[in-house]
Amino acid sequence: MRRFVLGVFTQPEACVEAARQLHAQGVPGLDAYSPYPLHGIDEALELPPSKVPLVALVGGLFGVIGGYTMQWWMNGVDYPINVGNRPPHGFWTNIPITFECGILLAVLSIFFSSIFGFFQLPRTYHPVFESEQFRTASLDRFWISVETEDESKVEGLREQLRAVGAKRIHTVLEAT
Amino acid sequence: MSHEQKPLPDANLPPFAGGRTLMLGGLAGGVAGLLLTLLGGLAAPRPALLAYLVAFVYWLGLAVGTTTLVLANHAAGARWNVTIRRLGESIGATIPLFALLFIPLLLGASHIWFWVAPDTTASKELLQLLAQKRSYLNLPSFALRAVVYFIIWCGVAWRLRALSLRQDESGDPALTLAQRRLAAPGLIFFILAMTFASFDWLMSLQPTWYSTIFGLYIHAGAFVCSLALICLIVTGLRSSDAPWGRLITVDHQHNLGKLLLAFTAFWAYMAFSQYMLIWVGNLPEELQWIVSRSRGVWRPVGQLILFGQFLIPFFILLSRKVKRTTGRLAALSVWFLFIHYVDLYWVVMPAAAPDQLGLHWTHFTAFFGIGGVSVAAAVYLMRGVRPVPVKDPFLEDSLRYAQP
Repeated sequence: MRRFVLGVFTQPEACVEAARQLHAQGVPGLDAYSPYPLHGIDEALELPPSKVPLVALVGGLFGVIGGYTMQWWMNGVDYPINVGNRPPHGFWTNIPITFECGILLAVLSIFFSSIFGFFQLPRTYHPVFESEQFRTASLDRFWISVETEDESKVEGLREQLRAVGAKRIHTVLEAT
Repeated sequence: MSHEQKPLPDANLPPFAGGRTLMLGGLAGGVAGLLLTLLGGLAAPRPALLAYLVAFVYWLGLAVGTTTLVLANHAAGARWNVTIRRLGESIGATIPLFALLFIPLLLGASHIWFWVAPDTTASKELLQLLAQKRSYLNLPSFALRAVVYFIIWCGVAWRLRALSLRQDESGDPALTLAQRRLAAPGLIFFILAMTFASFDWLMSLQPTWYSTIFGLYIHAGAFVCSLALICLIVTGLRSSDAPWGRLITVDHQHNLGKLLLAFTAFWAYMAFSQYMLIWVGNLPEELQWIVSRSRGVWRPVGQLILFGQFLIPFFILLSRKVKRTTGRLAALSVWFLFIHYVDLYWVVMPAAAPDQLGLHWTHFTAFFGIGGVSVAAAVYLMRGVRPVPVKDPFLEDSLRYAQP
């Protein structure tokens, strides 16, 4: 059963600084929540680089290859039409559609991978929502959560969070 | 717990006093280069003037492009660019020098622009076409239009710089507003002037050819090259220990790298739109320009430009790390500064000699001649003024700027 120790901060800089200190102390399972993007929090938590660019690149390359192949097959092989004696398969005239298919698939792959992969959207619940006050994370408060399986560590984590300046500390249990 | 913000570096820098060697060296080299080009021009006017034209458009494009960046940033209400803005303002203010440097081209116009004094032995069809274009392509109106372009460029660039310098003294925020109000209309006239200038000076080298996108193609190339120039200066400042360099963070450099990526793609978009429409239209009067540039010696040059100014740098610049690493971005900038010259060479020279490269020694003297004096002028304009707009209301925003 997972436990989440939550600490709330009123100032963004204090939250980033606390995250940096906790990370430096080697606390595992850290995460941060804030109503708007916090500068420096990625560096403070040393989060791994985002995977979104890679997904976009792969999607875009599929779009480019697919878009070009589609035009080559339709204009050059399946149904060639002679227009003013131009070659049925013209490389340059295929570029705009190829480009746009690349953009389309890149965007669609970001959209769907985010919704179903990164946000895991059909799941609308997260254990930290057990804390009634956690809703201020989307208003005006900054939260740091520490995830742990081990109940004996909870008290120590509460102390550590208090030491780095958390205003109030909650512990929530994952509902079973 | 009250939390202190990260202290900012002291931005209240004294007026810039460095760059003396660069200025004097540039001036000496520039004057020597111009004199040698003049000698070459007296011996053989046509190749020397063509070389001079390529170098002139190259360096003028840098001055116009950097001012375009300042104008575009003002028009967009940018705040991040304050610490690097004075660079663009100073380089842009060198444009009056180019009005002076244009005079040799005007004097030797008949040697490079065929329409000035058409050869009466040319084909009847060509002469008739030129007669029809005479109301636009004639020397007095050509000179008058050049005057108009320079009035627009100099007026906008000097007004921007004057407003910005006045703010260094008074700190009046209304001056920022005045610069922003100048930006959007200024941008329109600036780019229109560049469009018509490239029609007059470059497109009319082949007077029967026309392409409406040509002006933007030239301007886009010049803009990429100016971004590369600013990247080069910024990376140089950042790796020096000058206090000015400490105000320019890696995030500013990253933004310039992103603009470089975007506008390489924009340049390619312009080049492709021009090429594809001509290719698919397949009309003789449009094809002549492409045909003379895709045969013989010019074919590998065109391919070099396609790969060197777009395909390879585009994929290199996609990397975040390259944009944030000083040395790599500087190396790429030097490459861009080189390949844009090749691009202009490929635009100008096949019109004169369709079947040979036509590399003349005056290409080097003209490049370093005009380059030397314009670099000296830019450093001269930078000296004695504050390297950053010290009383700009957005200076602190710029210093705190972080990549989202």
